Amino acid sequence: MSDSIMTVKNLNFYYQGGVHAVKNMSLEIKKNQVTALIGPSGCGKTTFLRCFNRMHDLYPGHRHEGEILFEGSNLLERKDITELRSRIGMVFQKPTPFPMSIFDNISYGLKLKGIKNRAELADRVEQALKQAALWDEAKDRLKQSANGLSGGQQQRLVIARALAVEPDVLLFDEPTSALDPISTSKIEELMMKLKQEVSILIVTHNMQQAARISDQTAFMYMGELIEVDKTETMFTNPKEKLTEEYITGRFG
Amino acid sequence: MAGTIKREQTLDKLFAAITFLAAFMVLVIIVSIFTSLFRESLTAIDAFGFFGFISSTAWDPVRENFGAATTLYGTLITTLMALAIAVPVALGIAIFITELCPKFLKPIFSTAIELLAAIPSIIYGMWGLFTFAPLMGEYVEPALQGIFEPIPLLGQLFSGVPLGIDILTTSIILSIMITPFISSIVRDTFALTPVQLKESAYGIGATRWEVIRDVIIPHSKTGIFGSVIIAMGRALGETMAVAFVLGNKHAIATSLFDASATITVTLANEFTEADTDLYLSSLFYLALILLGMNFLLLAIAKTFLARKGKA
Repeated sequence: MSDSIMTVKNLNFYYQGGVHAVKNMSLEIKKNQVTALIGPSGCGKTTFLRCFNRMHDLYPGHRHEGEILFEGSNLLERKDITELRSRIGMVFQKPTPFPMSIFDNISYGLKLKGIKNRAELADRVEQALKQAALWDEAKDRLKQSANGLSGGQQQRLVIARALAVEPDVLLFDEPTSALDPISTSKIEELMMKLKQEVSILIVTHNMQQAARISDQTAFMYMGELIEVDKTETMFTNPKEKLTEEYITGRFG
Repeated sequence: MAGTIKREQTLDKLFAAITFLAAFMVLVIIVSIFTSLFRESLTAIDAFGFFGFISSTAWDPVRENFGAATTLYGTLITTLMALAIAVPVALGIAIFITELCPKFLKPIFSTAIELLAAIPSIIYGMWGLFTFAPLMGEYVEPALQGIFEPIPLLGQLFSGVPLGIDILTTSIILSIMITPFISSIVRDTFALTPVQLKESAYGIGATRWEVIRDVIIPHSKTGIFGSVIIAMGRALGETMAVAFVLGNKHAIATSLFDASATITVTLANEFTEADTDLYLSSLFYLALILLGMNFLLLAIAKTFLARKGKA
């Protein structure tokens, strides 16, 4: 097994009002691998995912306990949240292009980091679009609005945007649930290729997707981590009865 | 059985006819207002023409020489200044309410803004004349004059005797009156920004201000534009409050401390004095121009919004 990039230790998360959405989870996120989080709706997968880039901090009243170790310190206690978020990118269910041109979408994160040199921006935009397999489709329309792209292209644009700031980790929250099968397979191929450069954590409802693209799978149920293992083992020989029932489609 | 069906069909037709009549009345009223204004203006149109009328600064009931330049100027300058003040303030209010305000304070501020919109304009006028204008004339304007008058060119805007009954005071009162329109519409459009879009921007390391500037405001452009047009229409047509504090003086003022007159105020003040046909007709001509301006504004807004809607 390769090294871990992040280690989750006894993580608990409470929503405002006291709902205990993540219960005492501990998990290793492996470097340069794809970790899939599966489980029925409402089991806390997305809540768990959003802990990594401190998205919950935008809404007052929520509470974390425990640790997520990243580069030797607990990221839940870091003060420089904007810097942290540029290291740990996120891609959502629906594509979220910003209301600006394709070029400006990709360069946005770079500009926030203070990069102003036009040549460097152009280079990094090209590189990010190539990484996200969108360059050929987008190179002639960089100045056009990103809203003109198709749904699948928009999702690759969002991935390129996240890649442009050279993150260490990418979080995906059901990134293909709003896409057609062809766009979905493109995104899946992309994720498998991208893991050479970033570590990936993906929430998915689609078990075939988890089986196809991930190296490690974690199964969550009602806020708890039931089982985590290599994907192959998980889908062929799960240890827990609950896991087996879920992956064979008996509930969820 | 057949009788019931027949009766139902007749009722349906009757109902359709009634609703059509209601909608048709709107058209009839608009067309008839335009026509009657135009007919009443004919004498003045014959006497002064269009460009002659709007470019003439004359307003001399004794010699019966009339022009629209002074009142058009007064209308436009107070409206534009009111917008210049109100738009940034209203955006600030909307940003605060949607993005920064603690939850328990939101309804308080939202209601306060709606209340501001509910104050009748005559009350703004009274408050303007008895409270705000003296305050401006005694403290604010002399202070402004002290700062800006020594500066060449810019000083001209702050010259004269600050009395408080002037363009600056009027613009500020107008801006207070239109701020609620802009801020409540903009607040609603801000609230329509998809949460995931905002979170995406936070997700690549944007700060709260950067998210507002680069995502929320561009996403709400159409709503902002629409609210500004609505507010502009309101400011152009405002009569009562302006009549109290603008001073009703027919001249192109170069200082913000000068009195001026708007089209609406001139109409309100001078109909009773209009003793000749040409005087009366010139007032109707002014009204026609104001209506034309409002229509033009609406048309611009509609085409812009339609184009945005397609994109």
